[in-house]
Amino acid sequence: MTRWLAKLHNLNPRWLYLATAVLLLVPLVTMIPMPRSDISGAVRGLYDMIEACPPDGIVLIDSSWDAGSQSENKAELKCVVRHLCRRKIRFVVISTVTPFCPEFAGQVIEPIAKEAGYVYGRDWTNMGYIQANTGLAVVIEGLARDFHKMRQADVHGTPVDQLPLMKDVRSIRDLYLVYSVTYSPGTEWISFVKGQFGTPVAFGCMSIMAPSYYAYIDSGQLSGMLAGNRGAAEYEALLQHPDLGTKLSMAASFGNAAVILAALVGNLGLWAALRMRRRAA
Amino acid sequence: MRRRVVWLITFAGGLYFLLEFLLPEQAPAWLGGFKNPLTPYLTDATNFIVVVGTMAFLLGPFNLLRGHLGTLLRLRKGWFESAVFVVFLTISIVAAADRPDEGKSGAGFAHLAGLVYNALFYGVLTAFFASSMALLAFYLVSAAHRAFRVNSVETGLMMAAATVILLGQVPLGDWMTQGLPKFLQFPTMAQWILAVPNTAVQRAVLIGACGGAFATGVRLWLGIGKRQD
Repeated sequence: MTRWLAKLHNLNPRWLYLATAVLLLVPLVTMIPMPRSDISGAVRGLYDMIEACPPDGIVLIDSSWDAGSQSENKAELKCVVRHLCRRKIRFVVISTVTPFCPEFAGQVIEPIAKEAGYVYGRDWTNMGYIQANTGLAVVIEGLARDFHKMRQADVHGTPVDQLPLMKDVRSIRDLYLVYSVTYSPGTEWISFVKGQFGTPVAFGCMSIMAPSYYAYIDSGQLSGMLAGNRGAAEYEALLQHPDLGTKLSMAASFGNAAVILAALVGNLGLWAALRMRRRAA
Repeated sequence: MRRRVVWLITFAGGLYFLLEFLLPEQAPAWLGGFKNPLTPYLTDATNFIVVVGTMAFLLGPFNLLRGHLGTLLRLRKGWFESAVFVVFLTISIVAAADRPDEGKSGAGFAHLAGLVYNALFYGVLTAFFASSMALLAFYLVSAAHRAFRVNSVETGLMMAAATVILLGQVPLGDWMTQGLPKFLQFPTMAQWILAVPNTAVQRAVLIGACGGAFATGVRLWLGIGKRQD
């Protein structure tokens, strides 16, 4: 038995890769029903915030993700946009990380907006990419003070004055909520939007980045947060519309289990190898 | 001289943004109630930073193109890779510039440019991005097998916390512990770890990091420290 276990210590990684691929594929091919515990406070916070939004409220979405982080950010954007459309709340979309982001945001939003009968320009706009790599803080502050001066046309090149929705958005004071969904949202949103103007801020982030933001949830500086697919799945449960987050969190279940099993196998193998070495000596 | 000019711009920029942020939007009535005189220039100052940053987008491809063209023209080692770079850069620029607007199919060359753009963007670039991130899952499992060794109390604690967090964040954890009392269920324990010990540590790290960032900012602003040029 010990000899067999010791072989696990030097297990060919290809077997691990194969096991991981199989484990990740299973939940994507078949939907495995699993129970869900309570909704976390961070997710509930964002949901309640949008539920409490007045009919004339406008939400700013900073959708700054592309193919690299779409595995979690896509579901986080999708469920919040669905909620906004369900409540007929208008929203403005910007992107601040890479020039690819507006296209990815558009792909997610357009079908949901179309289904909800939203008219582009009147009910929602995609204001495109704003280069903020040299200083997210100054860009946020610029947007907060005068949106029209910072962004003079939307992603299609339509001047901002010709977009009916943008007539109601001049500064951050005209916005009800800012929702930043990206790999790791900038805390500048908290400092310069929530801190300076008092406009609520919520985040959607990759689950590995979520621990950095719990301090802001605790202090009330963040109104809500969707942490990875788990957050999106909980949000979908609140909307009673299981979708991408629910499906992908199931895949994450198996992925996380693979990591734990690999660590367990590695440790068992090491323990057996050391025991055999001690016996031999 | 050059160093002094850079320092002067840095100092002036830092002073402007600091004062604009610190001064109230409107002075109290007993001081005359005047508005912050720096605020009207904020958007222009911000646009200046955005424009300077955008120059880097042009500078990057330009430098890359210069290097690769040199390799290609002199047929140095790696000329084939340079040729691939130059060809794809040219195709991407032409296709992106001439493709029709979203939702429209276009005609003639614009239609062809749209097809090429979609093939490159969705068929190649997006697939590459997603694949490179997806590979992390395999590396993570391999790393957990090879490097995550429980050989002390500290590593044991870390393994236990990692297990609780990993399972507490996914439905599998809910399923595994659904029959146990609430406080022993993985999601409850994971939320507690994230909200209590993690928050305390994050705050401590943040306070320390912010102190460091402040000190670095002041040094940069005042031009204290070693010469970088």
